[in-house]
Amino acid sequence: MRVIYRSLIILLPLIVLITYGTILITDQDDALVYFEPKEFPQFDLQDLEDREIDLAAFNGISLLNVWASWCITCLVEHPLLTQLSKNEITLIGLNYKDSQVKAKQWLGKRGDPYIFSIYDPRGDLAFDLGVTGAPETFLIFNQQIIGHIQGELNQEKWQSTLVPLINAATMGNQ
Amino acid sequence: MIGEIAHFLALASALGLILVLIFNAFFYSADRHANQDILSYKLFHQSCLLIFISFGLYIYLAITDDFSISYIANHSNSQLPIFYKITSIWSAHEGSMFLWIVFLTLWSTLFINSLSFQHQLKKGTMLMLTIIILGFLLFLLITSNPFERILPFGVLEGADINPVLQDPALAIHPPLLYLGYVGFVISFSFITAYLFHGDIHYPWEKDIKNWSFIAWIFLTVGITLGSWWAYYELGWGGYWFWDPVENVALMPWLAATAFMHSLFASSKSNILKTWTLFLGILIFALSLFGAFIVRSGIIDSVHSFANDPQRGLYLLGFSGFITLISLGIFAYRLPNMQSSKLIVTGSKESFLSMNNILMLTAIFSIFLGVTYPLILEFINGDKVSIGPPYYNAIFAPLILMTSIFIMISLEALWQRGMQARTLLIAVTPTFAISSLILYFIWYFVQVFSLLAYIGIYSGLLIIISYLLKGAISLKNKTYINKGSFVAHLGLGLLFFAVSMNSILSYQKNINLFLGEQQFINNSISEFKFLDLQNIKASNHDVVSAEIFIVHDGQPIFLNPEKRKYFARGQITSETAIHASILKDTYLTIGDQLDDGSWTFSLQINYFIKWIWFSSALMVTGILMTIFKKKIS
Repeated sequence: MRVIYRSLIILLPLIVLITYGTILITDQDDALVYFEPKEFPQFDLQDLEDREIDLAAFNGISLLNVWASWCITCLVEHPLLTQLSKNEITLIGLNYKDSQVKAKQWLGKRGDPYIFSIYDPRGDLAFDLGVTGAPETFLIFNQQIIGHIQGELNQEKWQSTLVPLINAATMGNQ
Repeated sequence: MIGEIAHFLALASALGLILVLIFNAFFYSADRHANQDILSYKLFHQSCLLIFISFGLYIYLAITDDFSISYIANHSNSQLPIFYKITSIWSAHEGSMFLWIVFLTLWSTLFINSLSFQHQLKKGTMLMLTIIILGFLLFLLITSNPFERILPFGVLEGADINPVLQDPALAIHPPLLYLGYVGFVISFSFITAYLFHGDIHYPWEKDIKNWSFIAWIFLTVGITLGSWWAYYELGWGGYWFWDPVENVALMPWLAATAFMHSLFASSKSNILKTWTLFLGILIFALSLFGAFIVRSGIIDSVHSFANDPQRGLYLLGFSGFITLISLGIFAYRLPNMQSSKLIVTGSKESFLSMNNILMLTAIFSIFLGVTYPLILEFINGDKVSIGPPYYNAIFAPLILMTSIFIMISLEALWQRGMQARTLLIAVTPTFAISSLILYFIWYFVQVFSLLAYIGIYSGLLIIISYLLKGAISLKNKTYINKGSFVAHLGLGLLFFAVSMNSILSYQKNINLFLGEQQFINNSISEFKFLDLQNIKASNHDVVSAEIFIVHDGQPIFLNPEKRKYFARGQITSETAIHASILKDTYLTIGDQLDDGSWTFSLQINYFIKWIWFSSALMVTGILMTIFKKKIS
């Protein structure tokens, strides 16, 4: 058998190895960088139950979580969101590029941690916010976005990045 | 204190394994003396024993609620029954890695013990196993230490195990799966030692045949249980999701299945030898790849553990290292391995190697499905999800071709070609009968889906050809391999059941007030919401509904539940299932809407039980093969 075929046996796995290694090393996109506060964008959307959005919810501290029924990672962070919504923070949903029926079914099956979910089937508001995919979470304080997390929100990110930001914001307010 | 002892024992074991390696590095090529070998085998077995004792102590710590151990504090709770205190050990990364290593050690020590002292490959195999165990043990101790204490004081109460994991099926699903994954370390190490040793005429197949078969059984049962658990307990409403973690379990399974077939041909006629060796290496390499995918957090899945790139890099590097060693030796020996005999066209071997190629194609397709989204995200940041449509489209033609080859190879002979005409005549009845049945199915079902019909036809081809063969051999009293007969019937049934399930099953979303009833369709003439109760249990609230259904004239009462756990605020659905031979009536309760009505999701799932049954048949078939070998 020719040497070239034999070396392929080693080369192909090596390529796989290097590819995965590179992806792993550069996979730091969910780290939070310094965030310049900005105004929450204007929008004209209803919630999942076709009600008007109560803008009062954007006063004070709240979390806006971008989710969809097709998103598996949303399922992963769902228990934590449920827990947070119960005792710590107001949670607003942004249902992203989803079908209304499926989204409602999803909430029915898993439980609804959101005070309401903005229904954004075309991703209009999500575009203005700069969303790249679900899930993403925005920290909102008095109509301002003061923090942003891409990917799964877990206990660690909550404690290390969001809690300090919340403390800083509310301290400054007093 | 006991925690420190357990930790110390694990460290001591690592030291023992390092000593085995150092010792052999000095004496491997020097003039060997039997005492040197005895010493290194003893050291190896005792290092393994230390790991078992350490794990035993860890179980003791979990049972006695030592919440000063960080891992136990985070994953157990004093209120749990003892059974779940133990299973909580493998409910997250550190503990399950520990279990993985325990199984790795268990298989290794049993296998080394089974080889006679004079066995020429005993030492090489032991060294390879030592490297692998040591690599994972250091991974555990350095990056994911389960013995870590909370200093200076422990907590009073543990954080509880995730409620969906409080289930008997979960308690046994990961251990069985790990036993399967890890079991192939034996064929991997043995093949590496064989290639390294270089005596290509040694009949290595017989030494690992039954070990591989047993590992295959564990892997199959583990995968099936996982699927069963998702369907019955998690209320996911399906049995297979092409989730990345399911995919990485399927890849070694496919490789292992091809390996078993190849092993059979290889031990019979010394043909397909390079195939068999390559597949043997591939299985464990894919198992390692699976461990990397699940534990590095590189993908998002319901199965994945916490994201930690450092762990991922270690696992990737180590897995790559041992896989490349093995493949490197394989590539080096390849020119000497070429069999002088050629595969005869039309012989059983020729069809076997065709199916090997098809299995590799399937593995590669899954590999692509897992890898492609990662690469795309890396290049331009797009997140894509490759789901069932991709896999269905890929698998339908592969399954059809595999089935046809299985059917033909049943008629073909070992090492002798057959005339295309003879083969064609032999398989014509199967084609005819299967086509007829397919037509009847289409006639009664009146739904058309190309991929599903390909699946049904494939299943029928296998089932009918084996049944015909069985009937003929029963009549003429000729030999038939009973294990293979049962296992392949199982495979045919699996294809059939999965495809039938996909065309017949349906789902309805129902919205009802208490006491109301509704007509669903001709089959379900009545769906009545009888009662709703709120119950308080010790650690959760329950909403329990009572539903009355008339399904095909048969009255059924169903009680779907919804539970809210206090400790984590998590909500779980307890699905109510009414099962008959042909179909399951599967009901979950959703939320209460603002107008006071409740939502329900009703699924009618066909042939589900047949899927579990077909898997049981395959396992039975392999068991029969092992058992038969023992007698003869």
